Amino acid sequence: MIEIDVDKIISAGEKIADEVEVYVIKTDDLSLEQRESAVSSVFEHSGNSVYIRLVKDKKIGVSSTSDISRWSDCITSALSSAKLSKPVDEWKGFAEKKAITNFENPCDEKIVMSAELASEFLERMKAGAAEHKEARPVSAAVTLLRGESLLANSNGVYLSRKVSSISLGMDAICENSTGYEYDSSPFLSRVNPEKIGEQTTFWASASKNCKPIESKKYDVVFSEDVVESLIFGLFSDAVSGKNVLHGKSIYANKLGESVCAENVSFTDVPSDREGNSWRAFDCEGYPAGNVEIVKNGVLNSFLYDAKTAADAKTETTASAQKNSDGSTYIAPHNLRVSAPREEVLNRPCLFVKEVIGAHTANPLTGEFSVEVANAFLCENGLFTTPVKKAMLSANVFDILQNGFTISAKTKTFDGAVAPKMRISNMQVI
Amino acid sequence: MEKVRYSDIRFVKGKSSSIHIENGNVENSGSSFFGKALVRVLGEYGWGYYCASGLDMDNEKQKREAIEKAAKLAKLAQVKADVAEVPNGTPHSWAVSAKEQENTPLEEKAESLMRIEKSAQTENIVSTSARYAEIYNDVIFEDCNGYEAKSSICRTLFTVSSVAAKNGDMQMNYEQKAVCGAMNLDDYISYGEKCSKTAVSLLSAKASPGGKMHAILNPELAGVFAHEAVGHASEGDAVRDGVSVLAGKLGQQVGSPLVTIIDDPSLHFYGYEPFDAEGIATGATELIKNGVVNKYMHSRETLAAVGLETGDAGHARAEPGMNPLVRMSNTYIKEGDASFEELLEECKNGVLLIGSRGGQVDPGRGVFQFNAKYGYLIENGEQTQMIRDVSLSGDILSVLHNITMCGKERKMSSGMCGKGQSVPVADGAPHISLNDATVGGSGND
Repeated sequence: MIEIDVDKIISAGEKIADEVEVYVIKTDDLSLEQRESAVSSVFEHSGNSVYIRLVKDKKIGVSSTSDISRWSDCITSALSSAKLSKPVDEWKGFAEKKAITNFENPCDEKIVMSAELASEFLERMKAGAAEHKEARPVSAAVTLLRGESLLANSNGVYLSRKVSSISLGMDAICENSTGYEYDSSPFLSRVNPEKIGEQTTFWASASKNCKPIESKKYDVVFSEDVVESLIFGLFSDAVSGKNVLHGKSIYANKLGESVCAENVSFTDVPSDREGNSWRAFDCEGYPAGNVEIVKNGVLNSFLYDAKTAADAKTETTASAQKNSDGSTYIAPHNLRVSAPREEVLNRPCLFVKEVIGAHTANPLTGEFSVEVANAFLCENGLFTTPVKKAMLSANVFDILQNGFTISAKTKTFDGAVAPKMRISNMQVI
Repeated sequence: MEKVRYSDIRFVKGKSSSIHIENGNVENSGSSFFGKALVRVLGEYGWGYYCASGLDMDNEKQKREAIEKAAKLAKLAQVKADVAEVPNGTPHSWAVSAKEQENTPLEEKAESLMRIEKSAQTENIVSTSARYAEIYNDVIFEDCNGYEAKSSICRTLFTVSSVAAKNGDMQMNYEQKAVCGAMNLDDYISYGEKCSKTAVSLLSAKASPGGKMHAILNPELAGVFAHEAVGHASEGDAVRDGVSVLAGKLGQQVGSPLVTIIDDPSLHFYGYEPFDAEGIATGATELIKNGVVNKYMHSRETLAAVGLETGDAGHARAEPGMNPLVRMSNTYIKEGDASFEELLEECKNGVLLIGSRGGQVDPGRGVFQFNAKYGYLIENGEQTQMIRDVSLSGDILSVLHNITMCGKERKMSSGMCGKGQSVPVADGAPHISLNDATVGGSGND
């Protein structure tokens, strides 16, 4: 239960500013970490974060605190921040009060701050890991979280949301070969701890005795994890209205043009129940609907928050998320890709479970060269040879333009549901 | 009351302020306030951690209750942990509270930042931005033995970035300065122009060739190399858990005798800490000495677990409210005696790699990867054409043997290191020459 008097904060803000918005997040979490097959440490956290935005003369100021007793310092600081900021000439104001109906929270009442519950999931991961006895689980962790947010503004918006999550991770080693798996979900029933444990030790044991491969072009299949971190990561940056507005996107001025193969579409689906953080409104209180970003290869829309939309003289797509300083950033809530489907591993390929250095890719041009981890030559859906060391060099935007196929099976991440992706003719060093 | 073998409280209170300018306008600015305590208790077997927001360090009752909560959590831990008996020592005193910096109005700093950003607005530049941040951390550490330590540290940084465009091609670059202590932004006006000059040059750079070749790493990138290739594998928790290729290799020659790598949190660079997250006064640890594995970095727990003779405590670091982890701080490769011209001559044909776009390592497999901002081809001992989008990867246990020369001038650069938690670090090195390096690039077509 959030125990902060947001009305009092709004009243204080209204005395010095034209508009006030308060966003409060309360979280409780409990983590159990396992080492040497037993619980090694237990971590509990309970805290509040308060984010305040003020608008004065169409200038937006922000401030935040994790110490709720300092909310009045935030009011003063947000006003100073507003004075320094550039006025947003087309600013239309904070969200208006609107009825948001049929809204269900991504919250599982079965997730409670119980060490017994976390222990049970650790034990189940351990049991799964025992499937591949050559590999040794190094560490594992389970985190249970319950959270609540409240968004209120001086236009009368008053929206609350409850969330829950369970996160599980494990890493293992087999000689000099490592394996790692992670999953999280708002619902206990959606995670499979035995599978996470089994996969972790599988990756470690299957990757040992790896062999070098010839430096040439291969058909490459990226795992869901690589698709999410590398492909979706750079695509999301490129369709952020903020990057477009500031000339930092390769897609700027390309609305209506072909940017992907004609059988490829990208959509943000905030209400997707398969997603991890479905929502009816964004962190500014705007109703969040589907955004068809790329439709049949053609760039159809960018993503916007309210301020960027005003600067770009367009409408928000309700794609605002909260920065730690109280400002907003733009990101998809639940990105989906559609492309021709196939059994991506059935034809010969190099399968790549993980890459080292996804974050070093060039966000503007899309160029990347990354080292593979847990990679295998693959035939007829079977891993034939674990690959010792290989570097992949390509361009994300070229991959999207040239086309690819995807698997029917997907993995859910916090901001996306990603399939495996098969890409032809990639340079491997 | 549960069994408590040891307890401590690390309270971090502070403020961070930032300014963000995009194309000549203040996009965002503001301040945030934080105050978090991490209370940890070593119970009969393992650790219990309790993170408390808004703890009053003068309120003994509140502190006692927080310790009791952590003690209850510790009761659930079943893996035996110990803390090595290590003298707290005397923290190196260095005034970095930078009150003057704090008292300068944000408006003045915004004006200076605007001047840096404006200097980046040159021909063929289509977008510029600049960011400034200052973070004040006031730390109070207390343990159950009555030991108390306090520090007040300010860190300031700015980044300027430019996007160049011509004939449909776009390239970007950024320059950054980050220091522990105060910073006068007006001393760095030229950084904007320098940043844009490189971004424009990248428009005519060619894609890097890929494959095995000789590489020279400039001091910034060689510092990242030290951090990724050696530093992470020398962390005591990775050694304890058997997920470092350097585990069990103390005293073994793993690299060229030219290579000495040191981590020193007491140096006044971006990773400076007078005492670590366990209250231990910091100092230098020689990780690799003349190519031989010499010491590991430790917390009190990993020192007890791996062995008192295997390295030094004083390397535990933590974000506010988070548990201490064994981390690097200021990591560097010691200088050699080669001039830059000698390095070029020895390389003959290969690549010179400059700046860092980040890196990553898997210390268990012993494989690392990092990206340079850009580079140059070296042909017949001369630096020739500029190249872009170039990365380097390698095996820790073989690559250190391939260092053939170290330059004589070391420089330190600042950044952040992620290991679940993000902490400020500095890395440094002289120019180093690397034989048989795996260079990644798409320019082989």
